Amino acid sequence: MTSTGSIGCDHLVLTDVSVSFNGFRAVDGLSLKVAEGELRCIIGPNGAGKTTALDMICGKITPTWGEIVFEGKRLNNLEEHEIARAGIGRKFQVPSVFRELTVRQNLDVAYSKRRGVFANAFCFGRGAEWDGLEKLAELVGLENHLDTPAGHLSHGHTQWLEISLLLAQDPKLILMDEPTAGMTGYETRKTAELFNRLKVKHTLIVVEHDMGFVKEIGEVISVMHQGKLLAEGSVGDIERDPGVRSVYLGSGGISRA
Amino acid sequence: MSRRTALQIGVYGLVCVIILLVPSVVDNAFILNKYARYLVLGILAMALSLSWGYTGILNLGQAVSFGLGSYSMAMALKLRTVPIHTGKGGLPDFMVWNNVTTLPWVWEPFYSLTFAFIAGIAVPAIFAALLGWFMFKGRITGVYVAIVTLAVLVVVNLLIIDLQRYTGGFNGITDLAQLQVFGLVFDAYGSETYYLIAVFLTVSLFFALAVTKSKAGLILQAIRDHEDRVRYFGYDVAHFKIFAFSVSAGIAGLAGMLYTIVMEFASPTFVGVPLSLSLVIWCAVGGRQSLLGAMLGAIIVTGMQGALSESKIFLETWMLIMGLVFVIVVLFLPKGLAGAAEMLAKRLLGNDKAAAAKETELPVRERASGEAGGAR
Repeated sequence: MTSTGSIGCDHLVLTDVSVSFNGFRAVDGLSLKVAEGELRCIIGPNGAGKTTALDMICGKITPTWGEIVFEGKRLNNLEEHEIARAGIGRKFQVPSVFRELTVRQNLDVAYSKRRGVFANAFCFGRGAEWDGLEKLAELVGLENHLDTPAGHLSHGHTQWLEISLLLAQDPKLILMDEPTAGMTGYETRKTAELFNRLKVKHTLIVVEHDMGFVKEIGEVISVMHQGKLLAEGSVGDIERDPGVRSVYLGSGGISRA
Repeated sequence: MSRRTALQIGVYGLVCVIILLVPSVVDNAFILNKYARYLVLGILAMALSLSWGYTGILNLGQAVSFGLGSYSMAMALKLRTVPIHTGKGGLPDFMVWNNVTTLPWVWEPFYSLTFAFIAGIAVPAIFAALLGWFMFKGRITGVYVAIVTLAVLVVVNLLIIDLQRYTGGFNGITDLAQLQVFGLVFDAYGSETYYLIAVFLTVSLFFALAVTKSKAGLILQAIRDHEDRVRYFGYDVAHFKIFAFSVSAGIAGLAGMLYTIVMEFASPTFVGVPLSLSLVIWCAVGGRQSLLGAMLGAIIVTGMQGALSESKIFLETWMLIMGLVFVIVVLFLPKGLAGAAEMLAKRLLGNDKAAAAKETELPVRERASGEAGGAR
């Protein structure tokens, strides 16, 4: 693994990023550094601005102030597809797959090495690249559903499909918004296992509520509160942090958040 | 190639062969002309299916492309007639009536038939690309696209009527020469014209099928399904939409050119709101998500309209009957006739397949729980 945290290897850097919706600052002066190959968890109470932070990184929302830099490239004013081409992939909180397309077609769309219109207009059939996608479906247990429309999948399968879409896209930085929501205990563990395998080759940022899951995958955890970064550190550091404790007060401390 | 694609090509090919065989059964020139007209409208509806059914762009201004194609063919054929007033090589008759003294520069290149052919497809395609660039780069979606395209249609229609000196205005461009290419004469009532249209129908149908079967076609369907998600895979959604919109317009332009040949005139009604809206209905009846469905929808509906309005019994009530058919289709067949046909085919062929699918489902679940046990 590359040396974590050293300044030279910063993959994604957010500097003093804020966004304001009609005066309400959903994210307020957030600064974050994520190293290459790192798996970073972002936690925080509802409305802390976690999802908004991801939205800004992937271009869904344009930050009002501050700067987002990925691999030395400023992302602030790029369109979504340009950010995706730079190597950032996103999984949304609400499952967003192509419901009318089959699992196979979903994966085929996600496999996006060629992005131009004409490159795709003259592209028929699938060669060797498709074998990889079939293996991918096997990896997430969808090999028997390749020809099922995604709209007919169960919730758990849909989540897996989303994750496999990201794997097919193969971005350098993966943004995950609550990947385990609605998953069974077994599936959650399987996801944790997968993430641990992904982390060195990819950089991951995971927004999560499930503390058990975070403990299983997280090295460095960033805690957000009211649009700001409240604390950052290992699981132990975060659990001991008095600021974090007070924020989570009433919900029985962070361990039960 | 998947089995489904192979089957689709087979069915599409079969329909085209049947269409091509019609003149060997029908030898009434009037009826053949009528059928040729329905086929042209079928091409037009098929083009709409490409943008509406596959990409989710509801284009209420499809008649703009159709009209541009129709007028460019009409201009070329008009320049080939010998005008009554001015003799060979003189100005078209309506220009004389409008006190035009020299041929407008836009008309000049239409002395070349090749130019007219290219313009009939390229002008609508480029126009659509420009309009699409403004709409889709500006992220106009859904019902707003329908409103914008409808407004553009009305503007173009008014312009054509208003620029009487150059377009023949309300009367359109009439008294056209017959198209002659490679020594073949295309009389609107001859079988040559029918074959011309049937061949172009086949070509454009398979061209559109190829577009939908390419990876770009898949991305278009993904855009219809969940536009925003497509962006996060790095595809420029606007470019893909412009592509679909423009290809659809090009095919509609081709249909317009053929329509002029079969009708022997071009008129502002070809760029009319009624035609554009009917087109949407034909598409919906046939099944907008199927190229063949939309095409057959247009042929069947216009054919029915023709038959009903010509029969004595339904002379008064045919509009009512057509309305009833639309309501029934929209209520009970959301995917149109094509969807119904597909469902029927699945019922007939797929009974044992469905049973097999049920059987495989169970072991999968068992294995999943087995794995779960192993993981623990």
